[in-house]
Amino acid sequence: MSTDMKRHWFYILLSLADRDRHGSGIVRDVLDLTSGELRLWPVTLYGSLDELRGHSWIRELDTAPDADQDRGHRRWFRITPQGRRALAAELERMQTLVSVAQRRLARVGEST
Amino acid sequence: MTRQPERRSPAIAIYRALLILLPEDMRERDGDEIDTLFADEVRAARERGTLAHLWFVVAAVWDIVRRAPYEHWRRRGRRRNEESTMRSFIADLRFAVRSFSRQPGATALIVLTLTLGVAANTAVFAIVDGLFLRPFPFPHAERLVYVNERAPTWNLEFTGINYPDFHMWRQRARAFEAMALWNHTSINLADDAGAERADGLAVTYDFPKVLGVRPILGRTFTADEDGPKPTRVVVIGYGLWQTRFAGSRDVVGQSMRINSVPYTIIGVLPREAEFPGNTKFWVPLNGDPNQEGLSYAFEGLARMKPGVTVEQARADLSNAHAPIWAAHDTARIVSPRVSGLREQFVTEFRVMGKALGAGALLVLLIACANVAGAMLARSIFRRREVAIRMALGASARRVGRQLITESLALAAFAGLAGTVLGRWGIYLLIVSAPDQIPGWVQLQANGRTFAFAMLVIVLTAIVFGLVPALQPRRADVAGSLAWGGGGTRSSVGLPQRRLLDALVVVEIALALVLLAGSGLLVRAYGHLRHTDPGFRTEGVTTFQLALPGAKYANGRAQQQLYSTLIDRLTALPGVQGAGIVSCLPFGCHWGNFVRAEGAPPPSANEANPVVLMRLASPGYFQTMGIRLVRGRFFAPGEGRPGGPRPVVINEQLARQLWPNVADPIGRRMGPNSRDTTGIRWMTVVGVVRDVRHYGLIQPMRPGYYLSTTDIDSTDSYGYFGVAVRSTSDPATVAAAARATVRALDPELPLIDLQSAETAVNRSIANRRTIAFAFAAFGAVALALALGGIYAVLSYVVGRRRQEIGIRMALGARRGQVLGLVVRQGLRLVAFGVLFGLPAALLASGLLSSLLVDVSARDPLTYLGSIALLAGAAILSALIPARRAAAVDPKTALSDG
Repeated sequence: MSTDMKRHWFYILLSLADRDRHGSGIVRDVLDLTSGELRLWPVTLYGSLDELRGHSWIRELDTAPDADQDRGHRRWFRITPQGRRALAAELERMQTLVSVAQRRLARVGEST
Repeated sequence: MTRQPERRSPAIAIYRALLILLPEDMRERDGDEIDTLFADEVRAARERGTLAHLWFVVAAVWDIVRRAPYEHWRRRGRRRNEESTMRSFIADLRFAVRSFSRQPGATALIVLTLTLGVAANTAVFAIVDGLFLRPFPFPHAERLVYVNERAPTWNLEFTGINYPDFHMWRQRARAFEAMALWNHTSINLADDAGAERADGLAVTYDFPKVLGVRPILGRTFTADEDGPKPTRVVVIGYGLWQTRFAGSRDVVGQSMRINSVPYTIIGVLPREAEFPGNTKFWVPLNGDPNQEGLSYAFEGLARMKPGVTVEQARADLSNAHAPIWAAHDTARIVSPRVSGLREQFVTEFRVMGKALGAGALLVLLIACANVAGAMLARSIFRRREVAIRMALGASARRVGRQLITESLALAAFAGLAGTVLGRWGIYLLIVSAPDQIPGWVQLQANGRTFAFAMLVIVLTAIVFGLVPALQPRRADVAGSLAWGGGGTRSSVGLPQRRLLDALVVVEIALALVLLAGSGLLVRAYGHLRHTDPGFRTEGVTTFQLALPGAKYANGRAQQQLYSTLIDRLTALPGVQGAGIVSCLPFGCHWGNFVRAEGAPPPSANEANPVVLMRLASPGYFQTMGIRLVRGRFFAPGEGRPGGPRPVVINEQLARQLWPNVADPIGRRMGPNSRDTTGIRWMTVVGVVRDVRHYGLIQPMRPGYYLSTTDIDSTDSYGYFGVAVRSTSDPATVAAAARATVRALDPELPLIDLQSAETAVNRSIANRRTIAFAFAAFGAVALALALGGIYAVLSYVVGRRRQEIGIRMALGARRGQVLGLVVRQGLRLVAFGVLFGLPAALLASGLLSSLLVDVSARDPLTYLGSIALLAGAAILSALIPARRAAAVDPKTALSDG
């Protein structure tokens, strides 16, 4: 992936990276991750989940895990190995971006 | 099962109504979840206050409105993409079918060509897989080795194993987990339905451990039961358990009559234990480590410890054998030999498998070259079509995909047909080599053969599809269009012409390899069929009898039965003679050492070839049509225990014992021992032609015959072959023989009842199979190569119509035009032969071990193959040549 990943895709993948979640769980986790800055609205969330599934980056679980407390949510999602790779690639891209920017800014700092 | 929010708020109602804006499939799949999620969140927002609640609802509605168009757009794009890929594939396929159906003949030819190639490979692969690739059905079969002994000075590669030797090995060898001996034995099982013969093994107690099989029921022998004293216990195989005991579980402990003696059944072994083929029961071998005299009778099987190689096992066994050499074989005449199981049992098929595999591959290559040529010719004719498509915007990739689709469609069709035909080919190959292959080797079409066929198909499609598919990339669009009318000028497409020529030259070269190979094999088989076996097969029927010791206790009793049998057989209508012999041709071997009277016994290192000993009745020689060279056969009743011992020797023995004597009649020979006191000298009364006792291919050994009347009452010769010569047809003779034996003893089965002709044919069935397979390969190769020549010349004539028209207008005669085209064909053949001849000479080296009386460089075969190719090439060139000669100069020129 050379192009930037959509922001909400990135956070959904990141949210699923540590455990399987249902839609509501993703929403709350992403709110936590971004300190309330990014809220995934329902249609955007499920539309994005569908797109991620189209990329085979996530898949839907056939049965809900045992520790299911939100019994109303029937659909659980899990990140796939491809999804993890995509996430890692995006992280790397961001890191490169950050380090390039930091080097440039550091030089600017020296010269001033 | 939607979860309803506790309170139906107007916000939720509005939100739910707005979801209608979303695409239908999204509503269906995600509607409930979106609804629930919104309801959960909106409740939490309400608790934070009215403003927060309001803001939340607005933002959520905005989410629907903003996202809905995107979702619609996204779906349309996806659908269009899927549709267009699918639609273009179907379009390609339909286009392919249409363009193929415009040339049904050419298409059928291409499919047929590929089908033959795939079929030949599937069939041959099934055989090769069963023999060489698939593991044998025993756990860790790679650790199993075949053990025997060898004695080069006796001219024996396999002597059989001496029990005391084995006993020593078992104590001293370190490289093996277990080691066992076996000996073929067979029994008469008689019941009301008649007598039946069952093959079994006498084995040492750890035989099942070596194979790695466990009894399904009961147990196998203990070491005690396998002691020197015979024990009457038997383990039966799965087959016998099912057929004679209906799979009953309380068979263990029951009694079974073996050769009229009761044995106790102690266990049942599973089907895979039926090694080395068709074994129905096992009895203890009861070998004696202190046995007197040297008897080499057994075969051995051993399981090596994990990680031990065959070489290490060989060295270890040699080491274990050392005390025996030290004690009574200082010249090391007999030594142990170890070989891999596969090597031992399927070696004779290795050359055959390789040759068949190579032959099938060549056929496939020729088929590929042929189809590639046909496709290339098609693509050249379609240059204009391709150019137009590309000018209208089709990418080279798109056009290439079209061509690949066509190749794949053809290959898939031919692949299916080839797999079906291949199964039939397997059947043909197996039928033509009936009982030559060990029973536990499975030959059949299965998942592996199917996978192999699929691989062949895909590779084929790539090979023949690649050449034309590469064309559009190189196609000069503008040039093709500018040239106009479908390429009638001779200057067009020279590189393609060269490629086409090259393909045909390759085909001819490969076809020559196959033709020469099949020619050599067929000639060798012809020689083999006309090899004189040393006896006359016409009208002779043979079978064997095994007299159980319990009923026929000694030589006398046995002799009594045989003489009555011969009398009764001779009295049958149409029967000209009958006789018995201890070993029929292609049957058993009974070795002995003899020397001429007065000659010194050979020193230890001197060659001391084993001599084949047979006992024959006086009528045996005439019955079999064995020619007398000198002297006479036995007179009736000649040769009595205690009396003088007449002997009939074969020409080889005469040469060996008395190399400088013209007439050995009256000379005496005796056993090859140093101590000559009290031995019964044998006096030569006759010299006969050599009989090819070990098969038509194997060399004959020196041999001699003693009279059956010489059998002592203490001897026991329970196993004998019977020969009958009759003018009646073989089926009648067989039925009469069966009835005669049954009248004498209803419990005696007739073993291997067959005509001598059949026995000879069976001994060379392998060679027939391979000659037959190669002849088929050769015929297919020839047909394909001719098809290639025809296609190229047709193409050339089509391209050069205009030029030919000019020539004819300028006064060229019909014959000259004919010659022009035919010469082109012969030029291709000449190039093909140039490359093919060295390849054929090289390849036939592979076949040399299969060739009898024919040199791998037999000039007649090569010249014949070349002549056949050239002659057939002229014939196939004549059709396009006549078409060329029929060109009307006026129309040809006005076409331009």
